[in-house]
Amino acid sequence: MLKIYFGELEADNYIFNPDVYFNNTYEDEWIVDKLSVDMIKDVDGSDVIGPRLIDSPYLGSIPVERLSGGVKTLILMNNDDSHVFNASACGDNCAKWILKIAENKDIMIRLGYLMDFGDTSFEVEIVNTGKMVHSNKELVLEVLDNKLI
Amino acid sequence: MVGKYDIEIYNNKVHYFLTIKRNITILKGNSATGKTELIRLISEYEANGNSSGISLKCDKKCSVLTNIAWELRLASMSQTIIFIDETADFIKTKRFAELVKGSDNYFVIVTRDDLSQLPYSIDEIYGLTNVSSTSKYKAYKKVYNEMYKLYNLNPIQRVNPELVITEDSNSGYQCFSHIFANCVSANGKSNIYANIRTQSDKRILVIVDGAAFGPEVGKIMSYLAVNDNSCVLYAPESFEYILLSSELLDVPKDILHETYNYADSKAFVSWEEYYTRYLIDASGQTIYKYSKTQLNKNYLGNKALEKIKQVLPEQIQ
Repeated sequence: MLKIYFGELEADNYIFNPDVYFNNTYEDEWIVDKLSVDMIKDVDGSDVIGPRLIDSPYLGSIPVERLSGGVKTLILMNNDDSHVFNASACGDNCAKWILKIAENKDIMIRLGYLMDFGDTSFEVEIVNTGKMVHSNKELVLEVLDNKLI
Repeated sequence: MVGKYDIEIYNNKVHYFLTIKRNITILKGNSATGKTELIRLISEYEANGNSSGISLKCDKKCSVLTNIAWELRLASMSQTIIFIDETADFIKTKRFAELVKGSDNYFVIVTRDDLSQLPYSIDEIYGLTNVSSTSKYKAYKKVYNEMYKLYNLNPIQRVNPELVITEDSNSGYQCFSHIFANCVSANGKSNIYANIRTQSDKRILVIVDGAAFGPEVGKIMSYLAVNDNSCVLYAPESFEYILLSSELLDVPKDILHETYNYADSKAFVSWEEYYTRYLIDASGQTIYKYSKTQLNKNYLGNKALEKIKQVLPEQIQ
């Protein structure tokens, strides 16, 4: 299940800058994992050639460290259970992948903006208020009514 | 700093075009659209110049500000277009907001979070887009549709609001309450959402100062996107901009159409402040002497009100 904390989070296990954190902590096997390969293809439009090489349509052959901040954060969410990551590093095009990762495990993320989770129904806990929301509409109203951002 | 600046930066893989014309510009949007790559190119060019293999064309110096000694570095910069990536954690601090105010630099900030301490314009929030799906060329496109500066509006639709909510509580509200039958003040931009929310059964027109409404517009548009409210947002630069455009006073067109050449960022943190200052100065010796707290009654005469109404978009007149 997905839990979201909105606003400024202060916690020892909170990673504000997942881009840099990823560069210094990722494991080779994270990159060739099926879900990572799919996310990298969908979000960055890039192909994983191997654990240390990505083929980008714009940048050519690039190292893993030059993946987008959004996809790096997604890979961290899927592989590092001990931290809360700043999902404001992810754009709306990452939303469906966050929901997918949360189908198989419990994750908590931090958001500072109203990410668009689309028209699908889901189950998300807003950590600040403890309320469960089941649609993007419910999420938007819960966040704005309680002035969480 | 004043002026409008075209920036072109490229290497053999990517090519960016941007035009910057206010002290604060926000870049946001989907992941993997090239925001961080843009910052990286500017940073590498700044460090290595022509030997970086990167070409940068701009009439002003471009620089990247990171977390490292940011306050010290910022203090040493002048007449520079400063790029800041979302990985900089100081952009939400009160201290940064204080230093932006009075700075003679322009700031281009990559962030999806709203920066409530900074009065940026809804017109300077951009997303990066590819000129074509196969092209290496990238350009910036406004996130919010600027058509007539009316948001969430079908352009052929006429608005007959049952309720008008103004951000302004003083002169702007006093004027609009003479133009529209049922007009209330929200007493500030941060109260707009609560006012719309509690009146969601009505057809609403919301009038805000676009020049400083940037931190709030995302929240309002998110709310309107998931609700069936009949609500239209009208966001002129500011109430003072409307008065200056009304031809009640003799105002050179350039002041309104090329404000970027006049509103010095060192003196005015937003164009809203510039228009207010200009209106006070220009009207001081006339029957339209302007005060922000109490609207001069001469603005409320029939002829003056008609001229002011002519500035409003046709759909809401």
